[in-house]
Amino acid sequence: MPRVSFEHIVKRYGNVTVLDGLNLAVEDGDFLVLLGPSGCGKSTLLNLIAGLQDVTSGRIMIGERDVTELDPKDRGLSMVFQSYALYPTKTVEGNLRFGLSARKLPKAEVNKRVKWAADLLQLQPLMRRKPAALSGGQRQRVAIGRALVKHAEVLLFDEPLSNLDAKLRTEMRLEIKKLHDTLKPTIVYVTHDQIEAMTMATKIAVMNDGEIQQFGTPDDVYENPANLFVASFIGSPAMNLAAATLTVDGGQPLATFADGSAMSLTDAPFDNDVQPDREIMVGMRPEHFVMDATGSAAGHAAFELPVRMVERTGSDALISLDFAGEHLFVRAEPDRAVKIKSGDAVSVHYPIAKLNLFDVQTGQRL
Amino acid sequence: MTDAPVMYPRKPQRIKGRSIAIIVFLSMAALFFCIPLYVLVVTSFKEMEQIREGAIFSLPARWTWEAWSYAWFDACSGLTCEGLRQGFWNSVAILGPSLVASIALSMVTGYALALWKMKWAGTFLFVLFLCAFVPFQIIMYPLIRLTVSLGIYGSMTAIVFVHTALALPVLTLIFRNFYKDIPEDIIKAAVMDSGSFWRIFIEIILPMSGNILIVVLIMQITSIWNDYLIGVTFGGLGTKPMTVHLANMVTVSTGTVSYNVNMAAALLTAIPPLVIYFVLGKFFVQGIAAGAIKG
Amino acid sequence: MGLRWSRITPQLAMLPAVAIMVTAFLGSIGWTIFMSFTRSRRLPEYVIDWDRPFRQYERLFGDAGWNISLNNLVVLAFGSALAIFVGFILAALIERERRGEDFFRTVFLYPLAVSLIVTGVAWRWIFNPQYGIQHLLQSMGFENASFNWLNDPSTAMYAIIIASVWQSSGFYMALMLAGLKGINTEIWSAARIDGVGLFRVYIEIIIPMMKFTFLTCAILLSLGVIKAFDIILAMTNGGPGQSTWVPAYFTINAMSQKGNLGYASAAATMMLLITLAVFLPLVALTAWQQRVAKRGAN
Repeated sequence: MPRVSFEHIVKRYGNVTVLDGLNLAVEDGDFLVLLGPSGCGKSTLLNLIAGLQDVTSGRIMIGERDVTELDPKDRGLSMVFQSYALYPTKTVEGNLRFGLSARKLPKAEVNKRVKWAADLLQLQPLMRRKPAALSGGQRQRVAIGRALVKHAEVLLFDEPLSNLDAKLRTEMRLEIKKLHDTLKPTIVYVTHDQIEAMTMATKIAVMNDGEIQQFGTPDDVYENPANLFVASFIGSPAMNLAAATLTVDGGQPLATFADGSAMSLTDAPFDNDVQPDREIMVGMRPEHFVMDATGSAAGHAAFELPVRMVERTGSDALISLDFAGEHLFVRAEPDRAVKIKSGDAVSVHYPIAKLNLFDVQTGQRL
Repeated sequence: MTDAPVMYPRKPQRIKGRSIAIIVFLSMAALFFCIPLYVLVVTSFKEMEQIREGAIFSLPARWTWEAWSYAWFDACSGLTCEGLRQGFWNSVAILGPSLVASIALSMVTGYALALWKMKWAGTFLFVLFLCAFVPFQIIMYPLIRLTVSLGIYGSMTAIVFVHTALALPVLTLIFRNFYKDIPEDIIKAAVMDSGSFWRIFIEIILPMSGNILIVVLIMQITSIWNDYLIGVTFGGLGTKPMTVHLANMVTVSTGTVSYNVNMAAALLTAIPPLVIYFVLGKFFVQGIAAGAIKG
Repeated sequence: MGLRWSRITPQLAMLPAVAIMVTAFLGSIGWTIFMSFTRSRRLPEYVIDWDRPFRQYERLFGDAGWNISLNNLVVLAFGSALAIFVGFILAALIERERRGEDFFRTVFLYPLAVSLIVTGVAWRWIFNPQYGIQHLLQSMGFENASFNWLNDPSTAMYAIIIASVWQSSGFYMALMLAGLKGINTEIWSAARIDGVGLFRVYIEIIIPMMKFTFLTCAILLSLGVIKAFDIILAMTNGGPGQSTWVPAYFTINAMSQKGNLGYASAAATMMLLITLAVFLPLVALTAWQQRVAKRGAN
């Protein structure tokens, strides 16, 4: 399966520039998720690689082939659409066959592939039905089947799970992941759902305003967000971002928060040289907080804060602390959380090594 | 960013061959569709000598308004020779009250059917649906007798009445379908706020009806103006609409036929709805969609 | 509680409409059907002729004019069906090539805004043997060109069909355009990626998807053909002879020229029956469509 790359992609609609000089490459067998809020250009990018829209300038490569000027059908890819786009007047089998009919394959080969896809996706009992008589999940599987029978080298997914309910979505996520593990196609998958991205992707490209904010593995994107946008977009509950001033005192970096409290950043993971006297954002993931008293070991910042609210979410509890007038969310185990009431003062610790520091002005990671 | 060099520029976008073929084909079809209007216009401006040469598509050698003015002031329709003027003003006089009566009546009926629960609403809707397709011929003679017994046969009142009655099923269904989509909660809230039937209609429903009102208005203007059958059946001496005058004018077969006058007369009759159509075409299309899907 | 008034006022407001429906439609229809079983001539006789209640109908089907009318009805229906075909082609092309959509739609639809009497004037002029197309073609050297269709009983109907197709194609185009726009754009994308030829996509996917639209068009066309009167009057006035009579024309003629009320009523009742034959499928279609829509929503 080939590598897919976008080189200097520019896309304009009239005067509106959607993508401006975008570069991105995925290796073969990668599961790339384009993640971002609506209007960030991720669907445009997918349509460009599919050939449903033309680039204004730039080059799209699939393997060694420049496909920029090719028709969609000649690009060697298949696509699963948000609305599934099943042909409503054809049966499930007809849908699977129709995509192959244009390729002049021998009949035996067509039969073989249709049977293969039907078995793989458990479509056999549905073959004679029309899409209108299928449930959402079944339609989804047919749509995937229709894409698979073509044995395309690259599979495109355009928000394929957004029309399903939560339970089905979880099931289909696993199923798509399993398909990728067994068939190893190169997948480009568009979604605005970070859980889909985190669970399925081997690579995530976080997009905003037509630009790629960060490109990396799910872990990388989650633990080391490249900028404030990625930090606040990825993660649910979201990362706590507390405004502070960065100073250097005797060679030791120090963050001073709005309430006057200070935090030593000596062990903090700075990517760049520390430059003092600037406004920064200190990012803390709610789940990295430690509530044990024993956690007050070295390398942790300690907070002693009043509780505003305790929220149970089922498997977890979220404690909202009052930190310099802002909310500071801390994840806690439910057992522990039931003992805490609003108004109590609790002490929590955060591992300095897991801090995320951003420059307020540029939004970039420090 | 915008100063970044453009990498891999594409060839300048050309219009694809297929697009050209489609546009050429559509343009030719459009030309064909314009032929009747074109010959009407050029012939109406020609003099009879040129018309007798038989070049139907040629432009007038000398553009002249003579045929137009003759058609408007002097042409004979039946026994009177006062041009189309009278028919025009008759049509205007029929149009106004017909519009008001037919739209007001069907609007209120559609509103009542859509938003106020009535036991027999379903039955009534079905009757409306059925009657929307009934051929005029089957109710024509009874309507004549009805208007005679009301003492209005032959007057404009009769024509207005018949227009109103005949438009009732379709227009009511259109309004009803439009009002049906108003959330029921709005009406519930309005009723709770002591809104009466008429107050809700005037203060809430009417202001929401702007779009559908224009659509129906245009539909009705063209259909009433272009009507022939109702006008010829229910109109009397001096109350017949323009289309009837035109039909009489062009079917007169005595003496030499002044084709240029006929064409000018036809255009005079066609101009009012055409002007409305070309100015408000979008609503006309919506009217077609609304009128076709009556269910 | 204003509850009581809120029940009565809507019913009062409906009163005029109900009165009109009951008298002008239901009552009138019943009256005409009743008349068709009487021996009424110029004036109505309110006695059913029990000896031969169907005498008017017997006469009707023995009448050459009526048989010509029925025949022409079928010819006109099939001929005008061309308008649906033309309408679909135009709509498909306009939808494919979005450029100039407003312009083309405006041009194809304008005939609908014009009175059929005007349409008749224009087309009669085009078919005019002395000065029209025929003369033009002959003067260009096609000596045998014959466009004198309106004066020839065997071709007059075709001239009417041409005018009628010209007049109504835009209408069907508008309906088809609405239908085409209702098709999910991702279907087109899927077909493009599948690489299926455009023609096959239309034949195998798009047209089957638009079956409701086509059926609606076919039924509206049939109903329109049954009502066709103005265009006949304006093009040929039924002539030459009775060659372009249709039921709508026949009925009015029986009433106003022959002054035979019972006879005209029988013809009108037959028109109603034909309408019902077309109309009932429409009711079924609407019910079906609603069921499909409901099922599709789940």
